[in-house]
Amino acid sequence: MIWIVMILTGLANFAVRFSMFSGLRASTLPDWAERYLRYVPTAVLSAIIAAALFLDEAGDIQMWNTTVLAGLLAAIIAILTRSVIFTIITGLGVLWIIG
Amino acid sequence: MTSDNMREFLRGIGDQLPLQLGVVPFGLVFGVLGIASGLSPLQTILMSSIVFGGASQVVFAQLWATGTSPLIVGSSVAVINLRHMLYSAAVAKYLRPLSLRWRIILGYLLTDEAFAISIKRFETTDRPELAHYHLLGSGLTLWVCWQIATVVGVLAGATIPDELNLGFAIPLTFMALVLPNLHRLSDIAAATSAALVALFGQALPWNAWIVAAAVVGITVGGILSHWEDRA
Repeated sequence: MIWIVMILTGLANFAVRFSMFSGLRASTLPDWAERYLRYVPTAVLSAIIAAALFLDEAGDIQMWNTTVLAGLLAAIIAILTRSVIFTIITGLGVLWIIG
Repeated sequence: MTSDNMREFLRGIGDQLPLQLGVVPFGLVFGVLGIASGLSPLQTILMSSIVFGGASQVVFAQLWATGTSPLIVGSSVAVINLRHMLYSAAVAKYLRPLSLRWRIILGYLLTDEAFAISIKRFETTDRPELAHYHLLGSGLTLWVCWQIATVVGVLAGATIPDELNLGFAIPLTFMALVLPNLHRLSDIAAATSAALVALFGQALPWNAWIVAAAVVGITVGGILSHWEDRA
């Protein structure tokens, strides 16, 4: 089962990437689509970040624990440096030191 | 390959290499996480070439591990990957003259990083008719690094203790990608609304929270941007 789902997912991913130069359809996006699609990464990644920071293993919301603290400090570093590596080092470092 | 094409190809590789500093750790963590989620080593490793997308693979593995229905796994990954349609549209005018074989290969290799690096080349080179070799070089570089990192992650996974919380590196990576780019009110509103739906939507059936959060965040951001552009 997992193989079928994986292959279908992979085909769907490919179809999206290939879509605009497939030769099968118009190769420009309508303005409204472009406008909304710009928010896909922000929305999706923010959802994943929030769930990882504020949900405990039982799925309950925790506003203050070591994970939240590590995430907050990493967030500051992310904004200041834009660096993936420094953000990871900060977040995991805080977690390892006080966790 | 003529020498001009070769030079363009090598340039694509060179331009893409610095980005691997962020890609390789992510691939390693995905390898570790895939095994921790209960996927077999073969499933984890092949997912990196079949699905071939960082956030997609992580979400796929984690949702699958919690017994989410295939339909929700598929639609969660699909919504995550919708952004690639923007990239596809942006490179379309350069790729349309190419043969079908070229377009299929470049479509498969069109990831965030490959696009980010090669679109600059397409737009600034004085010979855009060669720049698909640049995209091939940068796309292949990312692909190879991603596969190797996944395999190493899978092999190392067994020896890495859970207490290290390596999986936390994934939301941290996303933070570095998202937070510095929240400039406009619409960006902040999209991020905040999606985050709130993710937290309070945990009670939604079938693990539909990712899809729900994405739809809400995209809608809020899009609507507000209309209003911003008019102001």
